[in-house]
Amino acid sequence: MIFGLGRAAGIGLLAAIVTAPAIAAGPSKGEPAPLDMGEAAAARPWKRYGGWPKRDMSKFNTLAKHDVSPPGPTEPRKLPSPITGDPDKGAKLVADRSRGGSCLACHVMGQAGKADLPGNVGPDLSEIGNAGRDDEWLFNYVYDARVYNPETIMIPWGSHGLFNDEEIGHMVAFLKTLKAPAKFPTALDDPTKRPPPVETRDNLDPFVNEAMTAVERAETLFAAKGPSGSACVTCHADAKASFSSWAAHMPKWEPRLAKVMGVEEFITRHAKATTGATWLMQSDENLAMAVYLRHIANGEMLAVDTSSPEAKAAVERGKKLTTIKLGQLNLACMDCHSAEKGGLKWIRGQWLGEQRGQLDHFPTWRTSLLQIWDIRKRFQWCQVNIRADELPPDAKEYGDLELFLASANAGLKMNVPGIRH
Amino acid sequence: MAEKPRIKLPKTAKKGEVVQIKTLLSHTMESGQRKDASGNIIPRKIINKFACTFNDKPVFSADIEPAVAANPYMQFAARVEESGTFKFSWTDDDGTVTTAVEKITVS
Repeated sequence: MIFGLGRAAGIGLLAAIVTAPAIAAGPSKGEPAPLDMGEAAAARPWKRYGGWPKRDMSKFNTLAKHDVSPPGPTEPRKLPSPITGDPDKGAKLVADRSRGGSCLACHVMGQAGKADLPGNVGPDLSEIGNAGRDDEWLFNYVYDARVYNPETIMIPWGSHGLFNDEEIGHMVAFLKTLKAPAKFPTALDDPTKRPPPVETRDNLDPFVNEAMTAVERAETLFAAKGPSGSACVTCHADAKASFSSWAAHMPKWEPRLAKVMGVEEFITRHAKATTGATWLMQSDENLAMAVYLRHIANGEMLAVDTSSPEAKAAVERGKKLTTIKLGQLNLACMDCHSAEKGGLKWIRGQWLGEQRGQLDHFPTWRTSLLQIWDIRKRFQWCQVNIRADELPPDAKEYGDLELFLASANAGLKMNVPGIRH
Repeated sequence: MAEKPRIKLPKTAKKGEVVQIKTLLSHTMESGQRKDASGNIIPRKIINKFACTFNDKPVFSADIEPAVAANPYMQFAARVEESGTFKFSWTDDDGTVTTAVEKITVS
């Protein structure tokens, strides 16, 4: 009996010893990670980044408000008199980049703009003057082409207020002078012959990719104690082991927030709840940690969980969002990033990629800006660029969009930090 | 700019071998030519001098001018005859000197 009792006590003691360090050494299995449930994971009120265009586009759709833009016309506008535009003024306007790009962004137009790197999202208009179109048709096509083709991705230049009637008249006069194929100064200027860009730089070489410094910075952050007295390492002793594939399964539906949460928002909310650190989305600390947690999962295939009904619904919402017309330029994500529309074509000198291949390298170093951009900032820039107001980076719409994008990129291997122009 | 400089050179070499040394320091290299949104000149702030010594003998140094791009990257070669220590220094316009040290064993 004495032997028996001693043995039982010994087991009890052993269990206690084993359990206590287990709690300290790693997060408990099955329990969801602690999250701070404060309202926002990014700055509020959201303020656009310095150096970005300041224009207010509140009269047009955003990803959150889909019924703000004026509706398209139902019938062509009748012209009171024949167009008496100035083709020389028109030639300048079609190459004017200051108002939503220029016609050349999407169309080859003979020698307009010296045929310097025109795009090919829209048809070649070099011989439109031979097509037998009348003034009213040409005018309405530039003013708002939806009146002839509801599926068009052409920007409603007139009805969205980018060009006035007089300016469109000059453009029509210019279009009628286009009667000969473009002569390109070099083969590269011809969008049909321009080779798609291939990124060949070694993005994981710290001498090539400045964003690799974020990995070192994050290792320091990971070990630094926050206001609560604990650090990331208090619970995650070996980051590389704990997070060897974690980031490849993000973003995910988070029932406690009732929205899709990405790596960046998780960092903000989990850090706040555990170490007490304030690492708002888009802060240097957040970006460094976001690079790091993905970097240690490099080589893992993107594999988000879309099995729950809530996650399925989020993917569907995200997919729908890619077809919503946004901003003054009235473009949806898919207008530029689906091969059936503008994808895999040139918009002036820039290549429009498809949605697959747009996620595995984020966050990425932007060599043109000397900044690390996460996917949410990329989303925001897309919108500002098409003259729509962006949402805060933790917006639930971006969560849906990111989950949809991640499911469309499933199977691609993570390669973070990327490097791009 | 509190980033740690990046240095790449072999840990070991044969006596008389020529080794390649790569160095990079994160720095904005503000040229002093640019203007901010309100038209004011952004003051110059660059790394104006880089130097490398081996066992305290000069190996390579450079005076750097404003035309050099951000994150100056220096690659050079050195012949090593003995084990020792490379010391690197980057001098900022504001007087700050960032230093780093790398050892090499020569057999």
